[in-house]
Amino acid sequence: MVSIGFDRRTPPKWSGRLCALVVAAGLVAACAPPGAVSSPAGSQGAAATPAGSPSGTATAAGPSCGTDPVELNAYFETGFDLPFKLSEEFTKQFPNVTWKISQDQFTNLMSATPRLLAGDNPPDLIRLPSMVSLVKDNLLKNLDEYVTAFGWDKFPAAQLAQNRVATDGTRGSGSLYAAGLNYSLTGVFYNKQLAQQIGMTTPPATVEEFEGLLAKAKTAKLQPIMIWNATASGGGLAFPLQNLMAAYGPTQPINDWIFQKPGATIDTPTNLTAAQHLQQWIEAGYFPKDVNAIEYTDAQSRFGKGEGVFMFNGDWQNAGYDKDMSSNAGFFVFPPGQAGGSLAAMSAPLTYGIAAKAKNADCAAFFLNWVATNDKAREIDVAVGGSNPGGPPDLPVPQATAPITNETLAAGAEVAKDNGAMDFIANATGSIFAQGWTPELQKMVGDKQDAAGLLKAVQAEYEKELAQ
Amino acid sequence: MRVARSELLAGRALLAVLITITILPFLSIFTTALYPSGSVPVGLSWPAQPQWGNFVDAFKVANMSALLASSVFIVLAVVPISLVISTMAGFAIGLLRIPGARLLLLLFVFGLTLPFEGIVTPLYFLARQIGILNTRVAIVLPLIGLFMPFAVFWMRAHFVNMPSEISEAARVDGASAWDLFWRIHVPLARAPIASLGILMSVWAWNQFLLALVLVEDPTQRTMAGALGAFQGHYATDIPLLCAGTILILLPTLLIFVLFQRQVIAALLQGSVKG
Amino acid sequence: MTQARAAAAGRREARRIPWLQGIRRQTVVGWLFVLPALLFYAAFVLQPLALTVQYSLYRWDGFGPATWVGLANYASVLREPKLLETLFNAFRLVLFFSLIPVGLGLVTASVIHRVATGRLGAISRTVLFLPQVIPLVAAGIIWGRLLSLSGLINQGLAAIGLGDVARAWLGDFDTALPAVGIIGIWVLLGFCTVLLLTGMTKIDEALFESARIDGAGWSQEFRAITVPNLRHEIGVCITVTVIAALAAFDIVYVATGGGPGNATAVPGIQIYILAFLERQVGLASALAVVLVVLVLLVILPIQRLSREDVR
Repeated sequence: MVSIGFDRRTPPKWSGRLCALVVAAGLVAACAPPGAVSSPAGSQGAAATPAGSPSGTATAAGPSCGTDPVELNAYFETGFDLPFKLSEEFTKQFPNVTWKISQDQFTNLMSATPRLLAGDNPPDLIRLPSMVSLVKDNLLKNLDEYVTAFGWDKFPAAQLAQNRVATDGTRGSGSLYAAGLNYSLTGVFYNKQLAQQIGMTTPPATVEEFEGLLAKAKTAKLQPIMIWNATASGGGLAFPLQNLMAAYGPTQPINDWIFQKPGATIDTPTNLTAAQHLQQWIEAGYFPKDVNAIEYTDAQSRFGKGEGVFMFNGDWQNAGYDKDMSSNAGFFVFPPGQAGGSLAAMSAPLTYGIAAKAKNADCAAFFLNWVATNDKAREIDVAVGGSNPGGPPDLPVPQATAPITNETLAAGAEVAKDNGAMDFIANATGSIFAQGWTPELQKMVGDKQDAAGLLKAVQAEYEKELAQ
Repeated sequence: MRVARSELLAGRALLAVLITITILPFLSIFTTALYPSGSVPVGLSWPAQPQWGNFVDAFKVANMSALLASSVFIVLAVVPISLVISTMAGFAIGLLRIPGARLLLLLFVFGLTLPFEGIVTPLYFLARQIGILNTRVAIVLPLIGLFMPFAVFWMRAHFVNMPSEISEAARVDGASAWDLFWRIHVPLARAPIASLGILMSVWAWNQFLLALVLVEDPTQRTMAGALGAFQGHYATDIPLLCAGTILILLPTLLIFVLFQRQVIAALLQGSVKG
Repeated sequence: MTQARAAAAGRREARRIPWLQGIRRQTVVGWLFVLPALLFYAAFVLQPLALTVQYSLYRWDGFGPATWVGLANYASVLREPKLLETLFNAFRLVLFFSLIPVGLGLVTASVIHRVATGRLGAISRTVLFLPQVIPLVAAGIIWGRLLSLSGLINQGLAAIGLGDVARAWLGDFDTALPAVGIIGIWVLLGFCTVLLLTGMTKIDEALFESARIDGAGWSQEFRAITVPNLRHEIGVCITVTVIAALAAFDIVYVATGGGPGNATAVPGIQIYILAFLERQVGLASALAVVLVVLVLLVILPIQRLSREDVR
C-alpha cells in the first residue's frame, strides 16, 4: 500500500477536463483490440521438435536426455517431498541433468499455471491439477509420440485414461497430455488408539456404521473428524462429499461430470442424498468448529497430535502420518451405502505435464518414463509418495517401509477390483474448486447454504465455466 | 497548563493500552518464532527452550540472501532514478513555473488516488509483450512510474516555497536553468530529497501486488512479494514462518527507527503542504 | 513575471544566443525537465489505465483473440451478486479502515497533545506508527496467527472469562470481514494519530490556554477547538484511509484469500482472481474501472469539504 498524504486544491473545471482526458485516451487506445499482438500459444497438437534439446530422433530406447548438460525447468507443489526426491535420484543416475525447481501452494499453482505455460520460460515439467482448458489453449505438449516411443500403451489403460483429452474437450479418451508420477488412493485414515476408545474393532462396512462411530466419538467428547476447509487450501469437505456420492450412487456419472462429457450434471438425486448426509454431519458437529479457517497443513499437524478420530485424505500424506503417528495410523476405504456394495474411492494420477513450448520436452518425458519403470524410482515412489507407482503391469510394486502404506496399497488393489476409481470433483474444471466447491462448502459450514443449494450452485458455476 | 489529575491518569492509561495493543502482535510472533520447528504454539508464551536457530533456518530455507539481494537491487534501481526525475519535474513545475504547470500537476496528482489494481492487469500483458515478464525490471519500471505522483507532488511542494530571490540572483549572474537546478537548488533541497528517498525505499521494499503478478520466481521479487510465497511453502512450520516474517519486516522497521523523524516528516508534510 | 522582467530576461538570453527568443527557450528547457518523469508516468501508469478501459470493452482470456462486447462487462459488474458484493464489502471496510482510525486517532492525538507532550508522547508517536512501515503482508500473517482458534485473541478472551466467544475469527462468515477490519485499524491508527497530532501543534496555543482558563474539560476543548481546526488534516486522513479500504489487497490476500465463501471478497482480490485465475480479463478490467471511478467519486467531495478556505 502506498500510504500517502496529499492535498488537492482542485478547481472543478480542471478535474472535469482531466476525466475527459483519460476517457479520450481510452477511446483512442481502442483502435487495436487486445490480443492482436500478444504472443500466440505454442504449437498446435502434434509434436514439434523442441529447440536446443538433445536430438529428438528415436534412439534405441526412444527420446532421452542425451549426454550434454541439461537443466530441467520444473514446477512442483509445495509440501510434498516426492518429486524433489525423485529429481535428486534422477540426477544421481543421470549426472548431466540438473534441475531448476520452483514450488508453490496448490491453489496458487492452479492460478499460475496458464501464465507459466504461456510465458517466456515455460516449465519442462509442471504439476497439473487440471488440464482441459490448458489443452484447449494449446499450452500443453501432446504426449502421444512418447506413448509409442516408450511403450506406455502397454500400461493398464485406466492409468492413462484420466490424462487423455479428446478434441471436443472431454476427458477420458483422446491424446495423452500428462503422465502420473504415481496413482494415489484416498479414503479414511484413523487414529487407532482413539478408534479403540470408541469401540471400533473393524473398519465400518456401511455408511450407517460409520455414522454410528461418528456419533460415539462425539458423545465421548472426541473430535470425530479432522479436516481442512480454508480458502487457501481449498475445501477439504469435498472429500467426504464425494465419498458419500459414490456410496449412494454409481461412480460413472460422477466421472462423466469430471470429464466434462456433454450433458453431465452433478445435481442428481443420489448426490443430493449424499450432500444431505454431509449437511447432517456438519450440523451434528462432527467437523472442527473452526474448519473454515483450517489449512491443509494445520489439519495434518493437529491430526498427528491426536485431535480427530478420523481424517479424510489421500495416501500422499502417508510419509507424514508415519512420522507423526507410526503404527497408530490406520486406513480404510470409505464404506459403500449398502452392505456388500462395491468399493469406490478417489484415485488419481499425480499429474505432471510438459509445456507445449518446453525447451527440454524429450528429457522431461524420459524422466516421466523413468519414474514408472526404474526400480529405485519406484521404491522412492512408494516410500516417499506412499502411492502405487503404476507403470508396466509386470513390474512388482515395491514393499513399503511405513505400515500405513502397505494398508493403502492393499486397499488400492481392492478398489481396482471393483473398478471404483474416480477422479476428484475438485478437478472438473480449472476453477470449479476455488469458485464452486470451496465457497459453497464453506457456506454450508456457516449455515448459509443447504445440500440442494450447494449442488445447484456448483452446477451453475460448472456450466458457466464450460460456456466460456 | 492546568490539567485535572484524573484526566492525566485517564489519558496516560489510554496511551498505555494503545501502545500495548500495537506492540503485542510483534511480541507474539517473536515468541512464536522461538518455539521448536514444527510445533503449533498457543498465543503469547515464552518457550521452554528458545530456538534462536530458527532465524538462521528461516534465512537459509527461504533463500533469504537471494531475496535480500533482489530487494536491494529493486530499491537501488527504483529510488535514485525516481529521485532524480521527480526532483527535476518538481523543479520545473514548482519553480520554473512552465506553462501548463497546473495541468501537469493535476495529471500527477490524479495518480495519487489510483489503486494499483486499476493498472496491474495491462501491466502484466505489457510486460509480456516487451519480454520483461518475470524479471526484476518488470517491477522496477512500473514502480518508478507509480512513485511519480507522490514524488513530483512532494518535490514541487518544496520548490514552490523557495524564495524567488535565490533564483533571481542566479539569473542575474547568467546561470542557465540546469545550473540553477543542479548547483543551487538541489543542494538546498537535500532534506526533502533524503526524506523522499527513505520513504520510497520503504515502499519499494514493501511492494507486494506488482511483485506477485509480474514475477513468478520468488527470488526475483521484493521481500514482501517473497513473503507471500514463503507463507505457501512453510505454512506447516509456524515457528519457521514467524521467524521468516520477522526477518522480512526487520529492515523497514530498522530504517524507520533510525530515521523516524525524516520518515514521519516526509509523510506528513506531504499532506499538509501544497 | 512582469512584462518588464520577462522582457529583460528575454534580452539577457538574446544576448547569449541571439537567434533564440528567450521565453521560448526557457519553456522548452522547463518541459525537458519534466519529460522523464512524465514519460515514466505516462508509459507505466496512464497507458495501462487506458488499456484497462480498453480491455473492459472486450471479452478476452489473455491468450486467444478478443471479442468486442461493449458495456456488457459493466452490466455484469452491476448485476452479478458476487461482483456487486465485493463493492459492498469494500465500503464495509471503509467503516473499519477509515472511520475508526480517524475517530480514534483524533481522540488519541488530542490526548497526547493535552497530557503527554514529553517522553510518553514521543514514544507513543513512534510505537503507534510502527505498523505503517512493515509490509502489509507481514501484518496479514501476524494477525492471521493472532486471530486463529489457538491465537492470542482467544487466549485473551479466555483470560477475562469470555472463553465461549472464542472462534476462528477469520474463518467465520460473520466475523471474517470485521476481523480484517481490525487488522486495518491496527495498521492505520498510527498514521492518523501522528498526522492529526502534527496538525494540532499548528493550532494557536492561545486558543487552548484561554479555554483552560475558562475551565473547559477535555471533551469541550475537543469539540470546540480541536476538531474544527483540523478540517484539513481530517480530510487527508479520511482520504488516505478510504483509498486503503477500497483498494485493499495485500492484507486480505494473505489473511483470508477472500473467504470464507465470499465474505471477505473485496474488489482488489476479485480483480486478481478474475484476471489471473478465471482468465476473464475483460470482466476484471471493468471491475477495476468501476473501482477507480468509485474511489474518485468518494475522494472528490471529501477533498472539497475539507479544503480550508481561511488559510
